[in-house]
Amino acid sequence: MSAIASRPARTGAGAEIGRPVDLDLTGAWLVDPSTGREGPAELVVRGGRIDSLAWLEGASGDANERGVVVAPGFTDLHAHFREPGGEAAETIATGLAAAAHGGFTTVCAMPNTTPPIDRAAMVEAGRAAADASGSPVRLLQVGAATAGRAGEQLAPLGELADAGVVGFSDDGSPIQRADLLRHALAYGGMLGLPVIDHPEDLTQTSGAEANDGLVATVLGLRGWPAAAEATAVARDLAILAEVARDVPSARLHLTHLSTAESIDLVRRAKAAGMPVTCDVTPHHLALTDEWLAGARRWAWQALDDHGIPRDPWRDGALESEPYDSALRVNPPLRGAADAHACVVGLADGTVDAVASDHAPHTQVDKAVEFGLARRGIAGIETVLGLLLEAVDAGQPSLLRAIEALTVGPSRVVGDAAGAAPGFAEGAPADLVIFDRSARWTVEAEQLLTRGWGGPLLGRSLSGLVLLTVAGGRLAYEDAEPA
Amino acid sequence: MSTVLTEPSNGSKAEVEATSLDRPPAWPHRHLLDTDVLTWPQVELVLDTADAMAEIVAKRRPRSDALRGVGVTNLFYEASTRTRVSFEVAARHLSADVVNVSVGGSSIEKGESLLDTMRTLESLGARVLVIRHAVSGAPYLVAREFRGSVVNAGDGRHAHPTQALLDLYTLHRHISGGSLRGRKVVILGDVLHSRVARSNLWTLTAAGADVWVCGPATLLRGFEAWAAAGVGGERRFTVTTDIVAALRDADAVMALRLQQERMAAGLLPSTHEYAARYGLTAERLALAREGCLILHPGPMNEGVEIAPDVASGPRSLVKKQVANGVAIRMAVLALVTSAGERSDR
Repeated sequence: MSAIASRPARTGAGAEIGRPVDLDLTGAWLVDPSTGREGPAELVVRGGRIDSLAWLEGASGDANERGVVVAPGFTDLHAHFREPGGEAAETIATGLAAAAHGGFTTVCAMPNTTPPIDRAAMVEAGRAAADASGSPVRLLQVGAATAGRAGEQLAPLGELADAGVVGFSDDGSPIQRADLLRHALAYGGMLGLPVIDHPEDLTQTSGAEANDGLVATVLGLRGWPAAAEATAVARDLAILAEVARDVPSARLHLTHLSTAESIDLVRRAKAAGMPVTCDVTPHHLALTDEWLAGARRWAWQALDDHGIPRDPWRDGALESEPYDSALRVNPPLRGAADAHACVVGLADGTVDAVASDHAPHTQVDKAVEFGLARRGIAGIETVLGLLLEAVDAGQPSLLRAIEALTVGPSRVVGDAAGAAPGFAEGAPADLVIFDRSARWTVEAEQLLTRGWGGPLLGRSLSGLVLLTVAGGRLAYEDAEPA
Repeated sequence: MSTVLTEPSNGSKAEVEATSLDRPPAWPHRHLLDTDVLTWPQVELVLDTADAMAEIVAKRRPRSDALRGVGVTNLFYEASTRTRVSFEVAARHLSADVVNVSVGGSSIEKGESLLDTMRTLESLGARVLVIRHAVSGAPYLVAREFRGSVVNAGDGRHAHPTQALLDLYTLHRHISGGSLRGRKVVILGDVLHSRVARSNLWTLTAAGADVWVCGPATLLRGFEAWAAAGVGGERRFTVTTDIVAALRDADAVMALRLQQERMAAGLLPSTHEYAARYGLTAERLALAREGCLILHPGPMNEGVEIAPDVASGPRSLVKKQVANGVAIRMAVLALVTSAGERSDR
């Protein structure tokens, strides 16, 4: 493990966070989606800047993609840091620390705080909190699309744009009024910013608890139909098609897609040249509604050789207690066929990005009856681990997975994200180093999020993050192994 | 009649008169949350134990010392008369110390979490928690933490295991031949929202019955897929909106209660239309086998899902269901407490 040996001495001390980083990495597997190249490389960082990058050939290039991997720092399009109003669940400081642990160097925070981020002053306050945290991880803010996220009139989109937001969203809720979505797309397009919609037809999901399917039927949980997402996606796309004729710069980003139908709608819209992008979450790729009944296998293990979902009651896959409220999330965990469609969409480029939808909650809000638990999984620290499980299972490729965490999301937020992901000489180093062969167990003590619990606690994942560098400065460093 | 020894947690050996089982199979379930975890021998053990309990109930002064000194707390988050009283009577027949807790509204509205309430009741001596809750799965949350036994008295749409067991017990006692194997049993009505239907699907299919579920399409959502997959991934049943096909040659029909709120939710046009198309009337019952048994978990909306003359007719087992419920719940209380309690705290 020459890459580890060549790293600077680890201090493990929090006080070191933010210091400029020097690195001499030889024999690591470097993945650079900005050029589409991956392979053994030698990377030198001096004073936080990329000094040199040399791809290695032949005998000196004995690193492989199963060992220590270097990639551009990840960008998360979708996280909830709960500040202001929900600091017991997460703060900007704890959220940024958790992000760095997950390998992220840029995070887009959603505006559904209490109160919501719908004024420039609130954007400034968030930025100040990020600065005060000492974390070098960049906090980008998504502004509310409607005033107070009330869905009645547009938020001051121009004011928010001037304050530096990277898009507009009422996430947590859809923009229910179709006329407002239309206006937000046009006005946002004028400002050069995307509207990020959470596609959900609320009339179909009132009181819904679990994906409408066999698991919901057997467990007596109120069904959450896939059509509630697809109809919202179809509506959004129909409106976008018209708006884009008048305002060619209008852009729609659909977040946390979870069904085969909506992935397919986006695939067709992209083929027609529409200005739409989308993301999926790692939990909708890797987990399924079977988990609510007590199964704990990955989504791809829940399909048989013909792509037909297995019945966990038939094949004895139920190993845990049912109704774990850690699994309550919006949109709900879907069936294995939907999860497979998300993986395929990611592999074929329909899906632009993998976003965490990091949604921390307190014990008070989560350790309750399933149907009363707040919806959300605090997963920003397990994005990489879940994606690597998918890579290990066959798709997407490692390069494509890293692309969906770097170049893909960067394209969605455009110039606002700062420098493009990559290893340009002279640029500030923005990278993550992880050991793909090292497994780690997800334990509450290991996680830096303040969010309580989680469906992956106790599970082993690969891809231990060793070092995260944001803007040339140390964002996270793994403690010295015992 | 031999004697079966059970060993409640307080360490004293109490005697329960039981069937002729000299050595009953060990009962492994500390909780009873649904019927899905029960093997057929375990179901039979419940029914056999209930037989013994029924003999106690039949005495002039029903009393057993099986649960003497054992705290049984009925924690009801939903209004209930018959189930709550049935559990209370069952526990008293076993000499348990019974406490009833009724909570209006949800635990959230009350401002105390379900787990906190459980811990309070545990500290106050509850060894068995009998829980009724409007949210599916709520008893599982409690069972993960509670030191004693949790008995599910109905959770949301999910399960009502003691109801399913008493239904099975009642059917076994009254069906000609004493077995449900190959016999056609129809569950009729609002299957979608019914915990009774779900728990019965597990036990009735395990008993080998030819189970049909019937109702309007809006109230069968999802059940076609379950029928195709089979209960437990193997035991098929039949789903139909055709009440004529369902009732033809039926050996037993279980009508389910229709709640008014189904109309407000847009699932049905009116109670009138429901009664006209799916009400269990004497005329429709003519399609069934002679002597077809009639069950209803109660409370009944007479004139809606069941006609008054059917509800109180000669083939109606509704009163028997209520009486048998006590024996079944005595059996369940005795069995779950025989499985001991958690020792890791």
